[in-house]
Amino acid sequence: MKIKTQVLALLLLGLASGVAMADKLDDIKKAGVLRVAAFDGNPPFGFVDEKTHKIIGLDVDYAQEVAKRLGVKLEIVPTNPANRIPLLTANKVDLVFANFTITPERAKVIDFSVPYFASGQQFLARKGALKSPDQIASLRVGADKGTTMEATLREKYPNATVVLYDDTPFALTALRNGNVQAITQDGSKLVAILGNLPDKDKYEIPGFSISEELEGVGVPKGETRLVAYLNDTLKDLEKNGTASKIYDRWFGPDTKAPLPRLFKIGDAHIRAQ
Amino acid sequence: MTVELLAPKYLTWMANGLLMTAWIAVIAIVFSTLAGFTLALARDAKKPVWRLLARCYTLVFRNTPLLIQLFFWYFAAPNLLPENTMLWLNTPHPLNLAGCTLGWPSFEFLAGTFGLTLYATAFVAEDIRSGIRGVPKGQYEAAAASGLTRWQMQRHVILPQALRHALSPLFGQYMNIVKNSSLTMGIGLAELSYTSRQVEAASFLTFQAFGVATLGYIGLIAILDVLARQVQQRVALPAGN
Repeated sequence: MKIKTQVLALLLLGLASGVAMADKLDDIKKAGVLRVAAFDGNPPFGFVDEKTHKIIGLDVDYAQEVAKRLGVKLEIVPTNPANRIPLLTANKVDLVFANFTITPERAKVIDFSVPYFASGQQFLARKGALKSPDQIASLRVGADKGTTMEATLREKYPNATVVLYDDTPFALTALRNGNVQAITQDGSKLVAILGNLPDKDKYEIPGFSISEELEGVGVPKGETRLVAYLNDTLKDLEKNGTASKIYDRWFGPDTKAPLPRLFKIGDAHIRAQ
Repeated sequence: MTVELLAPKYLTWMANGLLMTAWIAVIAIVFSTLAGFTLALARDAKKPVWRLLARCYTLVFRNTPLLIQLFFWYFAAPNLLPENTMLWLNTPHPLNLAGCTLGWPSFEFLAGTFGLTLYATAFVAEDIRSGIRGVPKGQYEAAAASGLTRWQMQRHVILPQALRHALSPLFGQYMNIVKNSSLTMGIGLAELSYTSRQVEAASFLTFQAFGVATLGYIGLIAILDVLARQVQQRVALPAGN
């Protein structure tokens, strides 16, 4: 019994020291593979390519750049929003690149890199109708009932006329009829809406946002060296122009629905204007 | 168990919604009654063309759901208007009359009251018409024998009696107008149902939000009920008649 306890204690000690000494960054390099969780059904962040049946997207492009710099192979593990943290804590993946919004609650369980993407509440308006945020106060703006969009709008622009509709298609019809001059939604959703409009050249998403969600790389808790490495890599990608190339590939002027880039890696906040 | 009450801010929203409901109901009641009289007379007019038009109106407006009619006036009809007209309608043009400012109605308000009135007119007309049919044939003959013209006959003999017959169903129709006005929230008109949903979404006090809305509608209907009794008493025929 006594011997057993001693062995167990030794084992535990060994495990504990092993954990303290283990470094994910070295592990990845040793393994020669970077395991990354990405979305497989959330274009353009991560989705299955119809032709190659591989997962591609903005998040995957960033993961590829990190793997390239590490000199290892990239292995993509498909995930959904609910699985992102469990995959990390269970050590099934090394990193999560999945449109992962940085929140204080999540930061208690895992670590985040600096943000490499930001989205926020934006507007869809007839071309030229809405150029700067201070115009919002004098406009009629359509929003969906029961969403946080309405509350944010009311809080920031108490003088704006907000008209609530049952869902986004109704709000869109109201915009197209001229009943409202703009509708508000999350920027990435507006891009999808705009992309499907038959007369989309009449409309635009003005280049400002009234709220922000910052997205970073999910990293297992306590891997400080790995986080520092990621942060350096991301900042370098911004410096050498790769970040803006990746952005333009998915949201640039030549894409189906362009979205102005309001956030650069290293910025503290999304650009208000 | 303590029940959390709605904050004053939310009660203000609900009060504004209640006022809007009352306001659109009053407008719809007044105009649907005027238009309903016309439609009822047209349905029994001498010229067949009037009768046909009136029948078509009743057919269209009584046999389609109000929600679809409201969607039509708000979402579909503007497509027929030129872009500039819509822009003009949606830009406030406040009227300054002798020092007091009249606010510009929103397009939701215009489409909502317009749609509600047209719908209610079909029903109000049918109630007035059944009142007219309740007037005994002898009254027409007596009026004709007295040398009254067709118009005078309607004005002094038939319609007053018809109205008396129709009062009860008419007030029932007015109550329907109050309740049907809730459908205008589908086109973004900030009446009582709309504000109750808004309050519910912001405060998460579901029971309180819809409870207050229910009380609001009961209150409005109660006012109509009291009004109906008073009008009926006033126009009641003396006993034995």
